[in-house]
Amino acid sequence: MVQDFKFKTQEEKEEKIKEMKKFLLTILFILVGLGLSLSPIFFLYHSVKAESLTTSVYVIICGNGILEAGEVCDDGADNGTYGPSISQRYCNSTCDGYAPYCGDGIVQGIFGEECDDGNNDSGDGCSATCSNEGAPSPGGGGAGAIIPQPETKVVLKGLAYPNTWLNILKDGEIVKKVKTDETGEFRAEISDLNPGTYSFALWAKDKSGTKSITYALTFQVSKGVTTTIQGIILPPTISLDKTELHQGDLLKIFGQTIPQKTVEVRVSSSEIVKKVLSNKNGLWNLPLETGNLEEGSHQTKARVWLNKKEKSGFSQVLSFNIGKAITKPESPCSKSDLNKDSKVNLIDFSIMLYWWGKHNAPADLNGDGIVSLVDFSILLYCWTG
Amino acid sequence: MRIWYKLSLVVIILFFFVFPWGVKGAVLYLDPPEVEVQPGDIFVEKIKIDTQGENINLIAADLKYPLDILNALDSNLGDSIINLWIKPLTIDKKSGTISLIGGIPGGYSGKISGDPGESDCLGSIIFEVPGLIVKKNDSSPEIKFLANSRVLLNDGQGTKANLILKGAKIKIVSKRKAKLKNEWKDEIKKDTLPPEDFKIILSRDSNIFQDKYFIVFSALDKQTGIDHYEVKEGKGDWQRAESPYLLKDQNLKSIIKVKAVDKAGNEKVEIFNPQKSSNRREGEVNRQKNAFSRFSLLLGEILIIVLVGVLIKRAMV
Repeated sequence: MVQDFKFKTQEEKEEKIKEMKKFLLTILFILVGLGLSLSPIFFLYHSVKAESLTTSVYVIICGNGILEAGEVCDDGADNGTYGPSISQRYCNSTCDGYAPYCGDGIVQGIFGEECDDGNNDSGDGCSATCSNEGAPSPGGGGAGAIIPQPETKVVLKGLAYPNTWLNILKDGEIVKKVKTDETGEFRAEISDLNPGTYSFALWAKDKSGTKSITYALTFQVSKGVTTTIQGIILPPTISLDKTELHQGDLLKIFGQTIPQKTVEVRVSSSEIVKKVLSNKNGLWNLPLETGNLEEGSHQTKARVWLNKKEKSGFSQVLSFNIGKAITKPESPCSKSDLNKDSKVNLIDFSIMLYWWGKHNAPADLNGDGIVSLVDFSILLYCWTG
Repeated sequence: MRIWYKLSLVVIILFFFVFPWGVKGAVLYLDPPEVEVQPGDIFVEKIKIDTQGENINLIAADLKYPLDILNALDSNLGDSIINLWIKPLTIDKKSGTISLIGGIPGGYSGKISGDPGESDCLGSIIFEVPGLIVKKNDSSPEIKFLANSRVLLNDGQGTKANLILKGAKIKIVSKRKAKLKNEWKDEIKKDTLPPEDFKIILSRDSNIFQDKYFIVFSALDKQTGIDHYEVKEGKGDWQRAESPYLLKDQNLKSIIKVKAVDKAGNEKVEIFNPQKSSNRREGEVNRQKNAFSRFSLLLGEILIIVLVGVLIKRAMV
């Protein structure tokens, strides 16, 4: 049944039209308001984001007197001090065990011990103070009097790829190389530091020579304590068997990470998320059917999951083209080594400084015609030290 | 109908007040956000960053301060998280602007859980409140970030991070409540440590200084920051210098000394003997390799041209 609008008077009609107009205007007003309100969300949803790299990393300070996760003990300023007995033993300088003490079973002449039978009982040939029974006691200023100067150092602990050399950078410069074990675990100790804020970074090459991203951590190093950074996970390496292919071709995405862990591979522009398990050598391989991918440029990246909660940051982002594409995919770091010495370091930075703000210069990494902030950001991303 | 107006009003209020807080992005801010000072005071404002979970690697910040009530005296980069500077914290006293451009190799994702320090500081500015201030009644003095400040993501593409800027409000109190502050003097007094050890690297590249020898160096000082560098070649005088530094002695016969001086005047001198440098040999080897590869390429090209020529000639016959 069609409702027929009939108005008794002209006035009533005009009133109704006016009301209708008001109503429509209000709706329009609300829609505009809503649009404006939600625009930041849409903007953020579509913006490119580099996700946080520090997902499970935490600082442990050995020497603050607080027993933290991963520490066996922490006696604050007394760490590293010789203990005259088992009950009076002190923590060592890295908080992963105890400093020498009378009763640890090791004869430490430097602390005045003549013997150490692993207890503090007298009458068994070695006295409670670790001196030969029957012989005069070491006495005086010996045991307990030697207090070593506490060191200011940093210990980095985490997981990378099995049996690989890890480059450790302090404030952008390589200071140490450590080898990971067959599980990918590593431990690096850097000493002789002044207190202050430091940036420690690390990177490695996988079995096929592909470089990982440079993973950096910035934190405060306090005087006379050991600052341990635990839970570091180096993001996986990632490679492609080809970068230009036809729709329907098989693309091989592969790399290396921690052994027997789940690798999450993402393909953007199609929002594909695939999971694959790394083998006992940490190698992973994902054959990707490209039949469902649209023609054009695509990007892929990967990260590793230790368990349901702990994950690494993302690997380097690689590009590939399906079908016709305007630009040839290129690694962001292909031009960063300005002096071609296979390193991206202070010399390349100096060359960039020399060309800063100049047009059509060799340090123009993104090819926009000028050496500027974006070029510097690319250089920092590709940094090897 | 009134209900619609009320609803629309709520939506507009949401837009202006609620959603901007929900916007995620790195925050560049000054610490403390509000400072109460009296004429003659010297105080420190720290420039800090909260990455809000983003992995960033470059910060370019510009600030403006009210010239009528503040003098920017100095800067301190000792506690900065930045390792490489394109433009260290620079004060322009004429225009009342402060700017910096710096980066962190490998990026920065914010403070690590359990870190007790201020590992989010980009640098500090030391301000002085003049003894006599001609105060304008209508002004609410503020140190502001300028809108052209930028933070770039560590994504290999230099993508701009969403950025929120928060300056600092200055409240001038005329009555003397306490002793005059001089936070900077205290910092300088405390700094007795020299700058960190650093390396002098000799290099030569066709991209800069017309392929002449130059040195690069970069020192850090964890207390008050590096004030300047000086270079001495052989028996020459100490001269203020910056990296990269073009060597005067291109025969590399002089011993090179580089001195890093911090804001408190502590010095660290590094010595470099080019005659014993492996860099020099590496540089030469690289150059020879490059020259050889260029020569091989040229030879290859000539061979191809000759071959094509011969083939064409044969085909014509």
